[in-house]
Amino acid sequence: MRRFFLVAAMLLAGSCSGAGGGGGDRAEIYLQRFFGECGAEYGSATDVSKVEGECGIITAMINKFNASNPDVHVSSNVVAWPGYPQLSAQMAAKDPPDLVTMHTGVISDYAAEGLLEPIEPYLAEAGLAPSALTEASRSAVTIGGKLFGLPFDTHGGLFHVNTKLFAQAGLMKDGKPVLPTSPEEMLAQARQFTERTGKPYLIQSLVGDNAYAARNVYTYLLAQNAVLFPSPRRIRLQTPEAERIVDFFRGITASGVSTRNQDTPAAIGSFMSGEGGIYPTGTWMIGQFEAEANTPGRPLYQSYTVYPYPRLWGQDVSYVSGHAWVVPKRERSPEQRRAIARFFRFIADHNFDWARTGHLPAFQAVVESPAFKALPHRTNIAPVATTGRPLPGGVQRQNAIEGLVGEEVAAAFNGQKSTRQALADAERRVNELLAQTEA
Amino acid sequence: MRGGADRRDWSGLLFVLPFLTAYLIILIYPLLSGMALSFQRVDLFGGGRFVGFDNYARLFADETFVRSVLNTFALALMIVPLLTVIALSLALALNRATRGAAVFRGVFFSSSVLSVTIVTLIWRFVLAPDAGLLGETAQAIGAEPIPFLSHPTWSLWALAITTIWWSVGLPMMLFLAGLQQIPGDVYEAAALDRASRWTTFWRVTLPALRRTLVLVVMLQTAAQLQIFGQAQLLTGGGPGGSTRTMVLFIFESAFARWELGYATAAAEILFLLIVLITLTQYVTTMRASEGEDGR
Amino acid sequence: MAAEASRSRWSPLTLLAILLAAAVMLAPLIWTLLLSLKENEALIGNSGAALSPPYTLENYRSILQGNQVFRWLVNSIIVSGGTTIGVLALCSLAGFGFARLDFPFRRTLFIFVLLGLAIPEQAVILPQHQLFADLRLHNSYPGLILPGLAGPFGVFFMTQYMRAIPKELDEAAMLDGASRFTLFWKVLLPLTMPAQATLGVFTFLASWNAYWWPLISATRSDMYTLTVGLAAAQMNYAQTSGLGFLMAQAVFASIPIFIVYVLFQKQIVRAMAGTAVR
Repeated sequence: MRRFFLVAAMLLAGSCSGAGGGGGDRAEIYLQRFFGECGAEYGSATDVSKVEGECGIITAMINKFNASNPDVHVSSNVVAWPGYPQLSAQMAAKDPPDLVTMHTGVISDYAAEGLLEPIEPYLAEAGLAPSALTEASRSAVTIGGKLFGLPFDTHGGLFHVNTKLFAQAGLMKDGKPVLPTSPEEMLAQARQFTERTGKPYLIQSLVGDNAYAARNVYTYLLAQNAVLFPSPRRIRLQTPEAERIVDFFRGITASGVSTRNQDTPAAIGSFMSGEGGIYPTGTWMIGQFEAEANTPGRPLYQSYTVYPYPRLWGQDVSYVSGHAWVVPKRERSPEQRRAIARFFRFIADHNFDWARTGHLPAFQAVVESPAFKALPHRTNIAPVATTGRPLPGGVQRQNAIEGLVGEEVAAAFNGQKSTRQALADAERRVNELLAQTEA
Repeated sequence: MRGGADRRDWSGLLFVLPFLTAYLIILIYPLLSGMALSFQRVDLFGGGRFVGFDNYARLFADETFVRSVLNTFALALMIVPLLTVIALSLALALNRATRGAAVFRGVFFSSSVLSVTIVTLIWRFVLAPDAGLLGETAQAIGAEPIPFLSHPTWSLWALAITTIWWSVGLPMMLFLAGLQQIPGDVYEAAALDRASRWTTFWRVTLPALRRTLVLVVMLQTAAQLQIFGQAQLLTGGGPGGSTRTMVLFIFESAFARWELGYATAAAEILFLLIVLITLTQYVTTMRASEGEDGR
Repeated sequence: MAAEASRSRWSPLTLLAILLAAAVMLAPLIWTLLLSLKENEALIGNSGAALSPPYTLENYRSILQGNQVFRWLVNSIIVSGGTTIGVLALCSLAGFGFARLDFPFRRTLFIFVLLGLAIPEQAVILPQHQLFADLRLHNSYPGLILPGLAGPFGVFFMTQYMRAIPKELDEAAMLDGASRFTLFWKVLLPLTMPAQATLGVFTFLASWNAYWWPLISATRSDMYTLTVGLAAAQMNYAQTSGLGFLMAQAVFASIPIFIVYVLFQKQIVRAMAGTAVR
């Protein structure tokens, strides 16, 4: 029996070292991100300019950082988007990573709990001035006068368009797609499109993609100047403005000009296979779709363009968010702190590479650079930089709220719930959640 | 006192102490601290103050939670009877000493060794209307694919089918083991009486399998009331909350909304429900079998 | 065995039903295998392509070229193996104590342990998470193994089994002057091998397939078990669109447990039977 225990004890003891991972003199930095896992494709890529897509570019960037900083080792933990339950579990376990990707709307939750470090010391060490950031991205990470994350980008929803199908539907003019300017027009164009091409006008990912439905509602509520949050702890969704939006998407889904049962991968697949006219999704898909558009033989070859969400009601405004790098509070050695500063510098220096994904840069100099302006479609989407609006910064639990709002309105889009019921349920659930947050 | 092994002294305690320590620290202490947490308003990162039954009152008024309880019961009711009948049928058909039967037993048990993540991965690409096997088949024959994962009428069935496929092996094995216990002469007697197969099944086989049947139903009920992975991975609780189970609700409350006290209160309710239901099953079947024995 | 049932052949109708059921059972597995053998690009928007050639081993080559699946596999083996060894050790000792020895409060303690059978994992998992956070045990092998050691089922099972072994053995051994530990180690333990196999198989499978606890405890990808790692890969699929590669990971991850299953099928079946017959 003693041998039995000895083996068990050795197993347990030996295993403890597995978690620590002492890497000699190198400063170990534990980085946690979403954007997907693509080690199989880009596991060894270090030339950032040669890869495409969020996943490829971030993977290559981190590879490059490791290759050019032999005294630092960044190990990446790729979490499933958006990864907040996992991050919360880590923080509750008092074992958070050193660097984490976070949506700017979520930062205030963690900052309010005292779980994040202000990043000014790192910026100073890295020689980065906050004034180098764009106004939008800087304000998105500023809470109570302090910066709680290094902005990575500004991003929002866009209409990705298949121009070949649009031409077939008679919806191209001067080489540009004709996008609607009112809900009635959109429905009419959609009918025309589907009649002439036999394919759906709209590709919607309504399954398991709460962000999509929420993005549509947020965008067109902001456009109508509706007050979504009368106070940071109260949402208002039972309004004529909201009903108008939900009714419209419900109608367009019901009228057979849209896909209904697709999740995100299926929707992406549909659009890339030329199976629909417009795929409303984010800035992050531009790079990948553009790559398809440049590959002869692909269904999307030379038939892709992209525009901001069109104005359907009120002003030309769209909902935007941003990605940022935050530093959770925990004990760190001076070497690790320096390594984080160096990583910040690297991220700032490679902001153009990241903007190739389709996101808008976080640094003003990159926005103004000829290289950025020369990227395809960027002039089309440039207006988002000025028309983009985030949710009010004081609102906590923005990720959970997006999940609740998206879940309810997606059910209405799909015709599974009435518009009024969905909005009432969403409002109630969000307000119950907000009532529980500490004031 | 003799020198027997069962001489009464403290040294016997040494043998049970290692387990007792683990049991007390890892199971009993969390059980008690969970009960305490459920009476507090406390978030995932600490704090906390006593609020009495507030969390419980909120839960009963929370439509999302009530819906999750109903979803969980619905799932258990869809899965347990079907699973039991299918497993029993398979066991009856495969209860023979041929090579073919052994191969089929292996086939039907094989899915049980897979983990929930692989099972959901497989079934997502069977059920998904756009990329799945069923969808492709439906399109090939020109039919409209059933939106298993995106329509509230079908989504619970998606979880039920996946779960039945995954877990049919164990109850089948249990029934097979039960069948092996039935002495052959009982069947010979039945054959002499010229009982039909059907009569033999109802009069001989089923009564003999009573204990196994109770075991299977109780084990499966307790397991299905705790469904989590399938709901989280296959449908994410959607569409529109139609597949949110109690455990998924607990997970989301704790780790997505940080309401630890609230989530723990929901866990206590789940605990109570499981105990009550399995106890009821046990007591009723025991009483029924006593009545039968007395005949 | 019921003689009547075992010799007769299947009627054509029964055979048809069995074959149909087997097809339903196997079709998803074959479909997965076919998907894993396709180029990722060929499957975009058209997974039906998996039903026809060309097939390729490219996705498996990608895995072999260094993928975290390996690390997750090793973690799963360590965690499941560690849990199994731990459970067998603790439960055999406790079963021996409860079944063969007498000590103060024995009955009370045994009932106290039995009551634990009613506690579902979900009722304790959140406070357990807090406890392990305080002990700084998350993202470690002990953190993944220890919760599996506290369940009372094994103790109940081993106690029942050891009770059924004739007491005369103990007396004979004690007359020879053996200590209690020798009695346990040399006399009783060898007799409980079938029970050890049953409990071992169950524990290993349960641990191999555990999901919720590793999901919230092993939050760093180098500590993921296969279950958690594949969940992450699955949820990341929306952002990678490599369906073939994803399925290849699933197949690759299932191979070891399938090999174990095929090799130990007899023992596993007997283990299953063992629980029912008591």
